[in-house]
Amino acid sequence: MTTLMRLMALTDSAFPVGTFSFSNGLETAADTGLVHDAATLEAFVRDVAVQAATTDGVAALHAWRGRRDERFDEIVAADHQAILCKLNAEARLMSCRMGKKLAELHTHIAADATVARWLDEIGAGRTPGTYPAAQGIVFAACGIGERELFCSHQYGVVNTVLNAALRCVRVSHYDTQRILFRLSGETQALYDEAAGMDYDDMHAFAPQTDILASLHEKGTKRLFMN
Amino acid sequence: MNIAAAKEMAPYLAEPTAMPVGSPGKAGYLRLGFELDDEGRSILRDLERRTPLIVQQELYFDEGMPEMPCVYILSSGGPNVDGDRYEQRFTVREGAFAHVSTGAATKLAEMRCNCSGLRQHFELEAGAYLEYLPEPTIPCRHTRFIADTTIRIDPTATLFYAEIYMSGRKYYDRGEKFAYDILSVTTRAARPDGERLFREKFVIRPGRRSPETLGVMNGYDVFANAIVLTPPAEAERIYDRTEAFVDDRRRLAAGITRLPNGCGVLYKALGAETDPVKRLVRSFCATVREEVKRRPMPDEFPWR
Repeated sequence: MTTLMRLMALTDSAFPVGTFSFSNGLETAADTGLVHDAATLEAFVRDVAVQAATTDGVAALHAWRGRRDERFDEIVAADHQAILCKLNAEARLMSCRMGKKLAELHTHIAADATVARWLDEIGAGRTPGTYPAAQGIVFAACGIGERELFCSHQYGVVNTVLNAALRCVRVSHYDTQRILFRLSGETQALYDEAAGMDYDDMHAFAPQTDILASLHEKGTKRLFMN
Repeated sequence: MNIAAAKEMAPYLAEPTAMPVGSPGKAGYLRLGFELDDEGRSILRDLERRTPLIVQQELYFDEGMPEMPCVYILSSGGPNVDGDRYEQRFTVREGAFAHVSTGAATKLAEMRCNCSGLRQHFELEAGAYLEYLPEPTIPCRHTRFIADTTIRIDPTATLFYAEIYMSGRKYYDRGEKFAYDILSVTTRAARPDGERLFREKFVIRPGRRSPETLGVMNGYDVFANAIVLTPPAEAERIYDRTEAFVDDRRRLAAGITRLPNGCGVLYKALGAETDPVKRLVRSFCATVREEVKRRPMPDEFPWR
């Protein structure tokens, strides 16, 4: 029961790693009119969830396994791989800020030698400190399983966009919860795909989302950091 | 090329019922090496090729940079067919520069047993400059294609590497969009000392997950990806000069971002038709040439 409680605490959108500052590209999608109602929001969030599963989701799983097997080199490898294939500059910034924040928070909550060592490596510039790597380490340190980690990761990605949607798209709480309910039902298939993937298998294809991210990066109007 | 190592290609490794993998004419090889000669002229020093890939010689036809060797890669085999394996290696030695393209669009045929593979390696030494700007790639129904590109680049060199992929033979018969089985495209870059710079992989399997969705192709039919690896100062100037936009009226969109590890920029464009996207990519290449070589890029030939 303790593990379940910790899983819920780490997954809670109120957990202070700063997710509220990000929209995962939704702000520009809404600004350009691409996302303008519940149906377009659902399509957008589904694409974000799929891309996250086959990139950050894979890195998080590998970091988790690295912590489980007490292989620090595997954690660092997962961290590097996450940044190598994160080709959008604002997304990299978001990932590194949240990753470091999560690790720092955890050291205030519970002592863990691996998390402390990883923070030192970030400070020394030897590892980038991405969010999926931090999630992998912290979840494993809390005794939470890899399936639960994956669920929490996907929930975080989807919920970040849906919470942002309440502030920049004309949708209701009913709409966002309905979308979350439906996308939750698709998570098992994404886990089945991501669980067997190695670093060489990590892939993403979302050119429209990438172009929106670029518009945000070059623009001056912003409510969110990405 | 070890296609078997790519898990996504596992369903497409049966021996072709026609000519087997590795048969003459199905295992193309090309090695191009550019360098400065004793008079400081950039020349094509090394040329090794195996059919169906053909390069005859370098030509100096670029009016904006008449000192630059230009090479068109041709294929005598028509489209890439089931079981084809091509390998292309490009080296640009210290201070040399070159422009490489293809003579026509790369057509990827229908495949029933195996797949078509392309392995590429780019090696750019100090101060080298290469524009790699091929014509678009057109997959058709049941195409299976894997491309694996590795780049090793000195921090002072510049590589412009573009790819344009169409959704299919859009105007063939009743229209063929995303009717292929799989496109798997990986590009990764590193420094000569082994430092990894970035890695991009996209795997598109329309039968499994439609790429036409809002966040992916969003109804567009042409996708362009242009990677520019260049020193940070040049990268910043290119980034600043390049517009990000979504133009619903022209059905055209483009964006640019900075690659990890300060190694350059990444440009992406989407369009409904090929020509406007080709023009965007060429215009972006012109920006790169102006910022890196301080030379203009002439308009494309009217017949291309």
